Amino acid sequence: MRPDASRKIATVTPKSGPNVVVLGAVIAAALVVAVVVAIVIGNNSKSGSSTASGNAVPVGVVGGTGGGILVNPATNKSNAPTLDVYADFQCPVCARFEKQFGPALTAMAKAGEIKYVVHMMSFLDTNLGNDSSARATNAAACAADAGKFPEYHSAVFAAQPANEGDGYTDARLTEIANSAGITGASLTTWQKCTSSGQHAQYVTDVATTSGKAGVTGTPTVKLNGQDITKTLSTPDALVAQVKAATK
Amino acid sequence: MGLSSRWDAGRLPDVIGLLARLILGVVLIWAGAAKVTRPALSALAVRAYKILPYDFAGYVGYALPVVEILVGLLLVIGLFTRLSAVLGGLLMLAFIIGISWAWAHGYSIDCGCFGGGGTIAASQTQYPLEILRDVGIAACAAWLVVRPRTPYSLDIRLFG
Repeated sequence: MRPDASRKIATVTPKSGPNVVVLGAVIAAALVVAVVVAIVIGNNSKSGSSTASGNAVPVGVVGGTGGGILVNPATNKSNAPTLDVYADFQCPVCARFEKQFGPALTAMAKAGEIKYVVHMMSFLDTNLGNDSSARATNAAACAADAGKFPEYHSAVFAAQPANEGDGYTDARLTEIANSAGITGASLTTWQKCTSSGQHAQYVTDVATTSGKAGVTGTPTVKLNGQDITKTLSTPDALVAQVKAATK
Repeated sequence: MGLSSRWDAGRLPDVIGLLARLILGVVLIWAGAAKVTRPALSALAVRAYKILPYDFAGYVGYALPVVEILVGLLLVIGLFTRLSAVLGGLLMLAFIIGISWAWAHGYSIDCGCFGGGGTIAASQTQYPLEILRDVGIAACAAWLVVRPRTPYSLDIRLFG
């Protein structure tokens, strides 16, 4: 059936309905307000750590307050290239990297052949919806204060849960401290440091600084500032690469 | 009522237009809703493309879901269809460029289109599929820009 003509005419005739300009302006304004609110809320939510906001910079940090921890300040030779490793304690590939390349890195660090700098990332907290990377990073920073950073760092990766996202309980982090050789008075200090989140600001700063340096995934390995992650094959090849980069 | 009298099921372009509007709108709302509750993750997803400076990428990550939802809502109710389709189409174009950029640079990232995002294993990337999907959605937007008049839209109801 054909629509009757009067209706057709009615729809063609301009209506005295809402003003297009006013309606458009209202919607545009709502969009702007919503965007501003979203940005403000986002900015306030960005700090990943839920622990207290202690702002102490841990022992061994190089390259600014958001820099990595230099593992071997005592042994590195002046001509040794800098090897930066960016890793997240909850990242399974990082744990595999640590297992495969960790011993070679530790050996080179001890021999002073590299300036071994570890940047502990915590962005997986955002992906996984927990705070384990931030707490583990704070705990490792506290271990750095106790002079046990390399031991603690390796022990956390060795204790990484099989299921990504299970994270680390505070009790687990304390067990790791024991296995890393933090005992007695050191342990008491370490516990105070972890429970108060003494390095919470540092945890955030490392994440921000690394992100600004273009590190968006882990593990990322840099040799003298150059990203060599994709070229990694075997520890021997890495050692050879380091030798080639030594002046 | 006015709406039913305007709706003539025999007209294929009307059907296509309505579908294009609903597909573009629903996809945008869905994509926005998946991200809007986790702004930090959204910021991370944008940063992973390594196109925008760190801070600005964060703002884009916070704002994008809200823009997607609002433009999607406008499309679903059919208000300011042409303008909304232009915005939706530009978003898709930006996504296609972003994904191509990541692919070209050899980054292994999740597009972060519907939540998620960030670096993933190289074997898990789905760049061709993601681009193909966005091209299809962009085609819906293009249709609406050319022919914004669709049945069951507020545009027709309010402005005739």
